[in-house]
Amino acid sequence: MVGGGIAGIQASLDLAESGYLVYLVESSPAIGGTMPMLDKTFPTNDCSMCILSPKLVECGRHLNIKTYTCADVVDIQGEAGNFTVTIRQRPRYVHVDKCKGCGECAEACPIDVPSEFDQGIGEHKAIYKPYAQAFPNAYVINKEHCIECGACEEACQAGAIDHSMEEEIIELNVGAVVLCPGFQKFDPSQLTYYGYGKFPNVLTSLEFERILSASGPFQGHLVRPYDNKEPRRIAWIQCVGSRNCRIDHGYCSSVCCMYAIKEAVIAKEHSKEPLETTIFYMDMRTYGKGFEKYYNRAKDELGVRFIRSRVYDITEVGDESKNLRIRYAEEDGTIREEEFDLVVLSVGLEPSPEIAELCQKVGLEVNKYGFAEPAPLTGVGTNKPGIFIAGAFSAPKDIPETVMQASAAAGASASLLAEARNTLVKEKEFPPEKDFSGEPPRIGVFVCHCGVNIGSVVNVPEVVEMARNLPNVVYAGEYLYACSQDSQASMKQIIEEYGLNRVVVASCSPRTHKPLFQETVREAGLNRALFEMANIRDQCSWVHMHEPDRATEKAKDLVKMVVAKAALLEPVSQIVAGVTKAALVIGGGVTGMTSALSLADLGYRVHLVEKEQQLGGVARRIRQGLKGEEVQPFLNDLVNKVLSHSNIEVHLGAEVQTTAGYVGNFVTTLTNGKELQHGVTIIATGGEEYKPAEYLYGESERVFTQLELEEALDKGDPRIENGKTFVLIQCVGSREPERPYCSRVCCGKSVKLALKLKEKNPSASVFVLYRDIRTYGFLEDYYQEARRKGVIFIRYTPENKPRVENENGALKVTVTDHVLGVPVVISADVIGLAAAIVPSSSNRKLSQLFKVPLNEDGFFLEAHMKLRPVDFTSEGIFMAGLAHGPKNLEENIAQAKAAAGRASTVLGKDHLESHGMVAVVQQDKCAACLTCVRLCPYNAPRIRNYAAEIEPLLCQGCGTCAGECPNKAITLQGYKDHMQMSMSKALFEEV
Amino acid sequence: MRLQYSSNIRIIEMPCSGTIDHRVLLQAFEDGADGVFVAGCMEGDCHFQKGNYRAKKRVNAVKKLLDEIGLGGDRLEMYNLSAAMGPRFAEIANEMTERIRQLGPSPLRKNKAGTSRKEGDVA
Amino acid sequence: MIIAQQKPIKDIAAMIEDCKKVLLVGCAGCVTVCLSGGEKETEVLASSLRIMRRLQGNPLETVTITATRQCDPEYIEPLENLVKDVDAIISLACGVGVQYLAERFHDKWVVPAQNTMFVGGSRTHGVWEERCGLCGDCILHRTGGICPIIRCSKSILNGPCGGSQYGKCEISKDVDCAWQLIYDRMKALGKLDKLMEIQPPKDWSKSRDGGPRKAIREDVMIG
Repeated sequence: MVGGGIAGIQASLDLAESGYLVYLVESSPAIGGTMPMLDKTFPTNDCSMCILSPKLVECGRHLNIKTYTCADVVDIQGEAGNFTVTIRQRPRYVHVDKCKGCGECAEACPIDVPSEFDQGIGEHKAIYKPYAQAFPNAYVINKEHCIECGACEEACQAGAIDHSMEEEIIELNVGAVVLCPGFQKFDPSQLTYYGYGKFPNVLTSLEFERILSASGPFQGHLVRPYDNKEPRRIAWIQCVGSRNCRIDHGYCSSVCCMYAIKEAVIAKEHSKEPLETTIFYMDMRTYGKGFEKYYNRAKDELGVRFIRSRVYDITEVGDESKNLRIRYAEEDGTIREEEFDLVVLSVGLEPSPEIAELCQKVGLEVNKYGFAEPAPLTGVGTNKPGIFIAGAFSAPKDIPETVMQASAAAGASASLLAEARNTLVKEKEFPPEKDFSGEPPRIGVFVCHCGVNIGSVVNVPEVVEMARNLPNVVYAGEYLYACSQDSQASMKQIIEEYGLNRVVVASCSPRTHKPLFQETVREAGLNRALFEMANIRDQCSWVHMHEPDRATEKAKDLVKMVVAKAALLEPVSQIVAGVTKAALVIGGGVTGMTSALSLADLGYRVHLVEKEQQLGGVARRIRQGLKGEEVQPFLNDLVNKVLSHSNIEVHLGAEVQTTAGYVGNFVTTLTNGKELQHGVTIIATGGEEYKPAEYLYGESERVFTQLELEEALDKGDPRIENGKTFVLIQCVGSREPERPYCSRVCCGKSVKLALKLKEKNPSASVFVLYRDIRTYGFLEDYYQEARRKGVIFIRYTPENKPRVENENGALKVTVTDHVLGVPVVISADVIGLAAAIVPSSSNRKLSQLFKVPLNEDGFFLEAHMKLRPVDFTSEGIFMAGLAHGPKNLEENIAQAKAAAGRASTVLGKDHLESHGMVAVVQQDKCAACLTCVRLCPYNAPRIRNYAAEIEPLLCQGCGTCAGECPNKAITLQGYKDHMQMSMSKALFEEV
Repeated sequence: MRLQYSSNIRIIEMPCSGTIDHRVLLQAFEDGADGVFVAGCMEGDCHFQKGNYRAKKRVNAVKKLLDEIGLGGDRLEMYNLSAAMGPRFAEIANEMTERIRQLGPSPLRKNKAGTSRKEGDVA
Repeated sequence: MIIAQQKPIKDIAAMIEDCKKVLLVGCAGCVTVCLSGGEKETEVLASSLRIMRRLQGNPLETVTITATRQCDPEYIEPLENLVKDVDAIISLACGVGVQYLAERFHDKWVVPAQNTMFVGGSRTHGVWEERCGLCGDCILHRTGGICPIIRCSKSILNGPCGGSQYGKCEISKDVDCAWQLIYDRMKALGKLDKLMEIQPPKDWSKSRDGGPRKAIREDVMIG
């Protein structure tokens, strides 16, 4: 895995969970990539760090993911199934295995360095950790600035610092490579008219992101770095370094429209005073799932101002405020000027030069912009078999698409290496658990100094003394670092010696260290759930640094409370269930077939169910892909592969009738009476083309939908052959009140059709009537080409739509020209309507059968818009393709592979285990009131035999049902009410 | 970030604010807490989908109850913040401490408590 | 099920103001399902009362228990030991439970914590609707499964009345006209002709008009 951003993390986790050993190579000192720098993410405004950090922890701790940081891949030799990868690992000057991440070194370090993570706005020391949640949780020395004063070495009580470390060359033998190095942001200083680098109040969007972030240099207070004043007027300028042919950045960066809107919305939220926000843009490209709604809300409800314009330049107003004046031309050519306190440049995405070097060395083809576009209709493939791509390096893209492609690359790699599955992975072995049932609690309390982090504030010996006298405590001791190797060994010994059956560690934070200590007690034969932690560093010594006495009191209280809880802890056994190694794929279109094939290649049995009598879905009507790929030969080949694959059973003319069970163990019956056992389900029901009611569709035989026009064009229909004037109307049935989403593919498709019409007859007049041209990514090139070749683009507004009239058999289109502001009348021979993509009619029924949600538009709703784009909240059920939302063929293929990749993390296991702490029902107390059944977002509870039953494999352990159960029949393991009550009791009781 | 905040706060960890039970909140007051706050994720941002909304409903119900029984709902609050919002946590801790200081110590602490006993269910 | 809602806490507190120690009895039947009297609510009420009394400087002792049902003698029999040393019993069951407790423990002060509202179902979580008037002589087979006794504000048997407008009852635009619903449903079932039969006046003697009712089944009686 080349690159440790969200793509690398997701692909690594998917592969490691599917039975493969993964090497994750990251060039910076920590994994995470760009995502940790972002404040919130669109369109849900989720906190970026919050949603990412569980993945960081999971990836960091995974036994079968080996991470190399400060490391660059310098060469890849060999072939698919057998590559030799050469890595150059730069010295960190800190031993990752010894560093506890306590930060004493940075406290001692005298040198301040601008923080790269904060985009140079804030500072950190020459020895630093990029960000609080970073994995590895270890510091690194920036040697360029280090003066080798030795202060850090002196401060480090763990002996982790080593100034003599040297560069290492590492060779790895791997079967597949996924390139996911991400992107770098465009440097806007080369566009001198924006004044970036010259005017202090012109910032890049990523700098602004850090200003907004609560963990950023201003703790989330929205101020200008220049004078720390709160801005009142902020402008965003779009397409900085994108859609700009003059600097060879002709492509659209795809994400900037959305992030600018998000930044404007969040800035308004952060600002105490009313804040004016203005976005200067060319086309508003909010084409993704949920994006259009976000845009409309920003515009109509939150007061973000959108100005369709061309910006000429930015100048300073010339006084102390250093405010800025933007000069711009409106659509009709009027030139205006406006003053702002702050200007944010929405900079585009570009590939980094380092990866270009690697590609050249390896012979990997990149496009003219340096991006490695996937090989046609593969979603993730390259010209080099065995090397896959994912993320923004394949094309500018947002987080969900990056995650999707990462899962797809994982799926493709897994299929390629199917034979090697489970040959290199390790599993941790533990001694059998001791049985303490019936024995009184014997608690050991281990209090950590954390170097000087705790010990210099909290009086640790006093805490230990107090702990020793608490009820049920039979041992209490203090440790310099409870997490060090030797402390761990001594902990195991003490557990043995004192016959401990509950362990409490008072130290840093369960966030980083609970799993480690749980593993230690497990090695000593204790169940994981018999461990509990008191947080006396992050929640005590660090935050009450100047009140040692009160901090000590608090530390004692925290230990008292946790000891009281520990006495009530019970062992929790993981529930284990087998896995039916088969998949049900619903929908026999390109998406469903691709998913089926990926899983079948991995060796799993696949049932492919298609309601029609033949495979192919809507792709049967598509001639060419958006990049000119011939679809029919591809489709035929795909159908043949599916039909001839020994692992795939195709059920034509059938639909799902009933389904039951849960992840790993589903039973589904089809309308043809067959009963299928399967471990996972992929819903790939596809979509349909909207049948327009507007623009004389159905009344004139010369009004076509896009798909019909494509077919007619292909067949040489005389209506097309003899046509001289063509009018293509966009957004027919999309971005309308009854269907408020953007159908995403139609702009690209219309541009392609326009080019095709021009190609056939260069003298033909082709008009495209649009609202915003949304040719995101490299599709922008086709838009440019179409304009160059004389296709006329006229923008219309939803208030003033084109009118189509039939005048004695002649089609007359009237549209108001956006530049001239006057109506233009076009006599059209043929009209093409970019009809919306609408959800499949079977979605609703499947949503009820599988108890999975649909969104307001009738497409399936994923578990998480950002990080779980193909998963449902109900485990073991996945979605792909148009069932999820409108997208093009290439994207559907990537998503199909992603769903297969995700599904294989389930099918790859022989047993599934419950997620640690789950909710359990005491059935004799249950009144079968349905509260839990109605509340649970994961469909874990159901009523059986007149009482609730919670499926442990589905329960995620949130405890919402336990909190609400009216007869207290449900409790959450490890967090029972009486445990919390005993903590509060202990707190207020005198010892 | 090591931002300093009031040292009079003791934290009970929960997997999700949605786990909180009305009884646990009341119990904390009976035991002697002057104030209680529940910190959940940002709205719409719950790791477990909707837990924080349920928590808010329950906290609001208990606030109303506290008003009715004379202890005052102001002693209880629900806050929404994300794990990346350290400064906000410190701000909340100080804000809540200040509020409770204004209200004064819990009147329950002056008065003797009656005992309570819970019997198992009949079934 | 029986739908009940808790009384204002002040009212409950007033009923036991002279008591030092009370027993709170929840019910794991209907009132648990309608979220007003299960173990959770019982303990919340106990805690609230204790806090209230402590604030008044007059601490209250509580004992809590939740019975499987309070409308069967066997389930309340085991409470005997708990009842001995309390000054009062607060029942969180419907009116039936309160009375059964009062009958069984006739020397104790038994008070209701709930207002018993009606017999109904849950439309959605947190919304309960009245559905049965307990008339003792069901006519739902004549009215398409929609009860005019309880759902028509006037309980008329041959409706609708002149107050039916746009499908709503004149008493409130939130109340459907039951007879409109009956008409629509019968029409959909193709049984409109049944509505042409005029219903004679209802025999209310089977309802409350005949005084307190009793149901006796000789065939299942034991002993």
